[in-house]
Amino acid sequence: VTPGLTALSEAYATALRDYLEHGGEAPLFKAYQIGRSALAAGLGALEVAAVHQEALVKDLLQMLAPEASSETARRAAAFFAEALAPFEANRRGFEEATGVLRGLNQNLERRVEDAVDAYRSARLELDEKRRLESLKDEFVSLVSHELRTPLTAIHGSLGIIITKFGQRLPEEVTRLLEVASRNSHRLRRLIDNILDLEKAESGVLGFDIRTLPLRPMLEQAIDVNQPYAAHFGVQLKLEEVTPGLQVRADGERLMQVLTNLLSNASKFSPAGQTVAVAAQRRGTDVRITVTDRGPGIDEGFRDRVFQRFAQADATAGTPKEGTGLGLSIAKAMVERMQGSIGFDSVPGAGTTFYFDLPAQPAAPAEGATWLGDR
Amino acid sequence: MARRPLIRVLLVEDDPDIQLVASLALADIGGLTVEVCGSGRAALSAASSFEPDLILLDVMMPDMDGIAVLQELRARPDTGLTPVVFMTARAQSHEIARYKALGSLGVITKPFEPATLADALRGMWERHAG
Repeated sequence: VTPGLTALSEAYATALRDYLEHGGEAPLFKAYQIGRSALAAGLGALEVAAVHQEALVKDLLQMLAPEASSETARRAAAFFAEALAPFEANRRGFEEATGVLRGLNQNLERRVEDAVDAYRSARLELDEKRRLESLKDEFVSLVSHELRTPLTAIHGSLGIIITKFGQRLPEEVTRLLEVASRNSHRLRRLIDNILDLEKAESGVLGFDIRTLPLRPMLEQAIDVNQPYAAHFGVQLKLEEVTPGLQVRADGERLMQVLTNLLSNASKFSPAGQTVAVAAQRRGTDVRITVTDRGPGIDEGFRDRVFQRFAQADATAGTPKEGTGLGLSIAKAMVERMQGSIGFDSVPGAGTTFYFDLPAQPAAPAEGATWLGDR
Repeated sequence: MARRPLIRVLLVEDDPDIQLVASLALADIGGLTVEVCGSGRAALSAASSFEPDLILLDVMMPDMDGIAVLQELRARPDTGLTPVVFMTARAQSHEIARYKALGSLGVITKPFEPATLADALRGMWERHAG
């Protein structure tokens, strides 16, 4: 590449960017002049055309990323057509060049059209997706509200009967009332979970991200969830936690993620077993793990674990306790805290759910200095 | 100001089933004196005639919602200081914050626990009076 061609290429790129950003005639005219003076200075027509085309295509395709506005795309197409025009018009003495140029021109026009089409359909798809998302959010919110009203009447009536007349009712009636009451509680949890999930995913829910010392959070989560685990004859245990570990997270949401993972692990553990919680530093993240000694996750269920309302088959005859939303909520919340979630499972041996959150570099212990390492 | 117990509660709720459940919870279980209104407009006249210690006000009602009722109550000399507790099925934290900012004593979320509804109101009442 001669210095003349490099300079020419840069001059074109500048003229094009100028035009794409500001529009107008002047940069176009400049591009035309640049081409003419290059030809006059003795550069070959084909070389000039090639540089011209290269500069155009490169900048154009950069500008046509999906987020670029259609106005930029339109300007780019107009610039391209006009800037090539002088070369097409300049046929005398350049018959061969003209033929080649026309080919290049058509090729370029096709590429521009394709790029603009791709941009438009990507845009349409995105608009449609947004519309559906907002419809869904509205629907979920409305349904949750509409469900709560009749549930309030059912839940309230049962509560009043049990509180006021419980002592005087036959045992069989009391038992059935307790079944109804327990299930109205379950329905309430389900509605709350749907709302939580919808809020976590739609981003309405404000996340208060702070630096949190991890160990006390894990201890608290174990304390809070121990009674639930005991219901299944399961013991929750805190294992190895790297000392001084701190995470960037919303405390309340982190507690909800831990609760959902611990209650899931408790439900799938055989009685007498232990669920272990641990945390280690992993590069710039902290990995928190919840390990059970349950039956493991079937190969066929693995890609649906985090889907809403997905529940692994419970043993026939055991009523499902959960709502099928706990793990979806955990995933949505971890992701809103810039983290990721996953699991490792060995059929017959157990499952480890883990999630990674951004770590806060630990403050050096008092008195420690770098000099001490020498 | 001498602290006196909560006695008279005006319940404003448009759903007849929830009217029944909530009034049983407040009166039969909770031992309060309760008057029930089915609309915001009825609540405005009852607030003057019944002279409640506290108003338990549903947020979502057709015609005149709980927020409009609260604003109207505050604008009247005889009800301007009557404490109001909202009752709502939409219990997102930013909404609860908003109801408190409007000058309500607190928020009861639906579904409520009938056995403890009156106690929840008494707790808010005592924090308010004390």
